[in-house]
Amino acid sequence: MFGAFRPTNALFGGLLWKTPWRLSRFQKARQRQRLRAVDAVVATVDQALAKKGETLKALDTWKAMMPTEGEMLPKDKYTMFDRKEKRYRKGIHKLPKWTRVSQRLNPPGY
Amino acid sequence: MSYFRITLHRSAIGLPQRTRGVLAALGLRKRNQTVFQPVTPDAAGMIMKVKELVLVQEVDQALTTKQLREERKPEPGFWVEKAVPR
Repeated sequence: MFGAFRPTNALFGGLLWKTPWRLSRFQKARQRQRLRAVDAVVATVDQALAKKGETLKALDTWKAMMPTEGEMLPKDKYTMFDRKEKRYRKGIHKLPKWTRVSQRLNPPGY
Repeated sequence: MSYFRITLHRSAIGLPQRTRGVLAALGLRKRNQTVFQPVTPDAAGMIMKVKELVLVQEVDQALTTKQLREERKPEPGFWVEKAVPR
């Protein structure tokens, strides 16, 4: 029953990874927080450069392409496109290093 | 002259060498470390590369290490009302 030889799926079935298929509401809350933190950094940099009258290509590209947290659909905040997945969507937590990389855009129509 | 006050909030462990190089170029070595960079397109470009890892403020003055330490120091819990000669 207990100990190293207890009959669990993970021990007897070989490889069994238990990654939940969707985020919990707390994970989603933290994800929104992180998205807003990135938005805040971009806004700060933008304001500081605007005061100096300077421009930055990376900043302009980001502002033109990327939606802010408020503009994003829940679908895009918590899931991402994957061509191998049923209905072409998987949880964003499947993305390696997902808490430290930006993944905001998905192909249109998916 | 205004500065970016940049604090490393998230570690770059396991991230690409390019990203870690950008942090090194900004002068950030460990988490919660704060550095000041003048507001220039160069510094802004570097911040944009690591925007998921840092917290940024715009400030008028760059603080020294000593001042940063002073900022973090907690209240001593007592204060001397009148110095008494021994």
